[in-house]
Amino acid sequence: MDEAADWLVDSLRLYHDLHAFELPGPTRVLEWTDNQGVYVAGCESQKKNEILHLLLPPKLSAENQGLCPERDFRVKHGGFSDKPVYNLKHVPETRLLVTTGPPGNSLQVWQVAEDSDMIKAVSTIAIHEAKSNLWPRIAVLVSKVPKVLHGTRVNDLHVTELESQNTLYMSGESDSEEEISSLQVLDADTFVFCCASGRLGFVDIRQKWGDSGRTTSSPGPGGELWCAAVRTSGLGSGPTIASLSSNGQLQLTDLRDLDHPVSTVQCRVSKPSPDWELLTVTWAPSLDGCLAISGFDGTVQIYDTMSWEKNGSHVEPLFIHKGHLFMDGTENSMHSMVTTHSWHPSKPRTLLSAAVDASLHVWDWIDPCNSC
Amino acid sequence: MPEIKVTPLGAGQDVGRSCILVSIAGKNVMLDCGMHMGYNDDRRFPDFSYITQNGRLTDFLDCVIISHFHLDHCGALPYFSEMVGYDGPIYMTHPTKAICPILLEDYRKITVDKKGETNFFTSQMIKDCMKKVVAVHLHQTVQVDDELEIKAYYAGHVLGAAMFQIKVGSESAVYTGDYNMTPDRHLGAAWIDKCRPNLLITESTYATTIRDSKRCRERDFLKKVHETVERGGKVLIPVFALGRAQELCILLETFWERMNLKAPIYFSTGLTEKANHYYKLFITWTNQKIRKTFVQRNMFEFKHIKAFDRAFADNPGPMVVFATPGMLHAGQSLQIFRKWAGNEKNMVIMPGYCVQGTVGHKILSGQRKLEMEGRQILEVKMQVEYMSFSAHADAKGIMQLVRQAEPDNVLLVHGEAKKMEFLKQKIEQEFHVNCYMPANGETVTLLTHPNIPVGISLGLLKREMALGLLPDAKRPKLMHGTLIMKDNNFRLVSSEQALKELGLAEHQLRFTCRVHIHDTRKEQETVLRVYSHLKSVLKAHSVQHLPDGSVMVESILIQATAHSEDPGTKVLLVSWTYQDEELGSYLTSLLKKGLPQAPS
Repeated sequence: MDEAADWLVDSLRLYHDLHAFELPGPTRVLEWTDNQGVYVAGCESQKKNEILHLLLPPKLSAENQGLCPERDFRVKHGGFSDKPVYNLKHVPETRLLVTTGPPGNSLQVWQVAEDSDMIKAVSTIAIHEAKSNLWPRIAVLVSKVPKVLHGTRVNDLHVTELESQNTLYMSGESDSEEEISSLQVLDADTFVFCCASGRLGFVDIRQKWGDSGRTTSSPGPGGELWCAAVRTSGLGSGPTIASLSSNGQLQLTDLRDLDHPVSTVQCRVSKPSPDWELLTVTWAPSLDGCLAISGFDGTVQIYDTMSWEKNGSHVEPLFIHKGHLFMDGTENSMHSMVTTHSWHPSKPRTLLSAAVDASLHVWDWIDPCNSC
Repeated sequence: MPEIKVTPLGAGQDVGRSCILVSIAGKNVMLDCGMHMGYNDDRRFPDFSYITQNGRLTDFLDCVIISHFHLDHCGALPYFSEMVGYDGPIYMTHPTKAICPILLEDYRKITVDKKGETNFFTSQMIKDCMKKVVAVHLHQTVQVDDELEIKAYYAGHVLGAAMFQIKVGSESAVYTGDYNMTPDRHLGAAWIDKCRPNLLITESTYATTIRDSKRCRERDFLKKVHETVERGGKVLIPVFALGRAQELCILLETFWERMNLKAPIYFSTGLTEKANHYYKLFITWTNQKIRKTFVQRNMFEFKHIKAFDRAFADNPGPMVVFATPGMLHAGQSLQIFRKWAGNEKNMVIMPGYCVQGTVGHKILSGQRKLEMEGRQILEVKMQVEYMSFSAHADAKGIMQLVRQAEPDNVLLVHGEAKKMEFLKQKIEQEFHVNCYMPANGETVTLLTHPNIPVGISLGLLKREMALGLLPDAKRPKLMHGTLIMKDNNFRLVSSEQALKELGLAEHQLRFTCRVHIHDTRKEQETVLRVYSHLKSVLKAHSVQHLPDGSVMVESILIQATAHSEDPGTKVLLVSWTYQDEELGSYLTSLLKKGLPQAPS
């Protein structure tokens, strides 16, 4: 396919590093352990899915890249899951993992072995959710005792201690039944949630649900479906929450004033997302004001929020990764869909992205403005 | 017990030295004989004492098989055959036989001449060793002896690499050597039929990796070459004569065409000659694309790639040169390297592993100052790039091969058991086979369950079928017969036929039982009473009164005699053969019950 060959030739000037791998199955999970490793997990139903702990190719982190020929991923640990895994969180300072996926009536806790390469299931935390196509979002709270924050709807957010399975915190049962799309922990006591409707909420678990410690905004515009991400690094003040809608709208909101978004723009997407659950928006850990979006097609788009001029405008991406469309050069890949993406914790312009064809790319894009 | 034993030889857990001992049904085969490139002493050789403790190697081993020409698979062969001592057959494919001695000689030169080692094999030993080699073709069944046969399958990986099936009777094992399941630009992918071996032995060095795509590797190569040429620099690519060189040429040619680049690309003449030579011998081992580049007899059909002349190395401006030898240890590539090393605009791309002691190895270790002949110091300012193009099977590849061959058991060598528990479970779950991972020096014993074919005589078959049930191939059936083992085959026949064939007479067993009957009359009267009684009771059987005064029921004889001491008692002698046991017993118990009163 000529377009594939063209893209590969273009890639010489678009990327420093570019690696493409084929996983045993597609993943919706890209969870970092540290600078060198990620977890991926299969998300197919009626199949034995694999949870893999992968070490990045040594070449990426070698001091002298030229002398290091090793460009393969190494499978450090692996485990089997009968259920599809849609979300996976690593509990820091432990060898524990928590996973979730449909049917959403439980969370699975796993242990990564120390003396072998197995990941074994250790316990299950039961959830009460009637609708089986919904599944709880999870986030891990930073604390001495491993705790997981989880919930499918606003009125069933819980903080559960992993070992004892005791509930340490609950949202109000009489509250909204809106479905949760994103959960993000800010520190040991606070977290932000985003509903599919676009409503944002900030919660401090030291206060009871319903007290003034919680502020929410009204739902996002016009019936679209939303997800969000909170910026946790970077200098200075400024909007910290980025919300992304299934139509490609990006809204930036300040944590201190959830009711009044700072800016709203339209991203360059050719069509609305066919599967809003695949929508992913992430802030760059090392590039001020940069974020990436995916979930509309087979591309990942990078935007520089600092360059936006006015509200309501259409914005142009700084860079588009088209690898999942062209890398394997077949007709099918043109209709590929990116399932998730993630920024490298320390290398400023390196990202990982995965697609429905089980491809996993690691890429380090060259800043087009850099050469000026 | 029918069993297969596998022992990977060599000490320690270190990868890098392939040598596996397999025993099938009493036949002993050694698979590969590799050198560990990381050691300078005896640790680089496999531990042959494991086999030599059983006596002379030539007597113990039935054959040696070498999978391909990489030194970690054949590097210890001359040492093994000429210094330890083995005179039996050594099997390998034709390209391996042609290329092996060259690499072994190169390696010997580097080790002895450059590093000054003494306890090493000589050039003559390499020649003597190769005389013991028998070359085989792909898919050709080779009879090593009456019982042992081997067959080579295409393995990809490098030119001439093969996977070998070893078969004794109905037991077989397949050894993969190094293989690759995805085709590249000059080799096809490994392939094997559904041969269902008892055991599949596969290297697992890369089993826990997920390989970067070929496109990204090639992209990297093109990027480096392009960047160097764009800034006016020169690119040196040291290569071995055949294989990878062609592949990289095709890649560059396509790229140059597309980008309309003008910088010259050269292929050194020594390289062309060698390549042409091997091409003629082994074209069937490469793939279609490569064959198309060889149109005329003495030239490569490339538009942008020309033959190199020494003088060109001094030309100004950018260029790319492919030159031998591959490790920069001598010859043209080293000459060019010396000229270009001092300029930081230039680049050298090493496409493979370099043996210790070579300039290639030194610069890949990061050395920037080299001591050359005559104590001259060479400062290396040019960029050094290490690119690995060699193809090995990763986890996915291993699964694919297991799926193709359908073995009963899988054995992984050269991996650390603790680091491969996940793969072991994956294989066991997906294919329902046992997966073994022995350490070096550890023996794995597998029990096989061979099917022994037995011919059954028509007569016996008919007899069994007459009993009612038709034979069902899936169900075990109990039969009676005689098994005759003669001339290496088995036959199941009826006893009578067996006796006939063996010229034996059948023994007749006859039982006689005495029944006492109270009867004062004469014996003949008693017999008559017995006859009438039996005739009336045994309606289903033939009862006859014979002229000699005895009664015959079927073939059972009943006679009456007087009791020696008591004239009022008559003794009935009931006599029958072994075959009539059932009826005989029945008659006896019937008669013991007594006879009805005689009519007066």
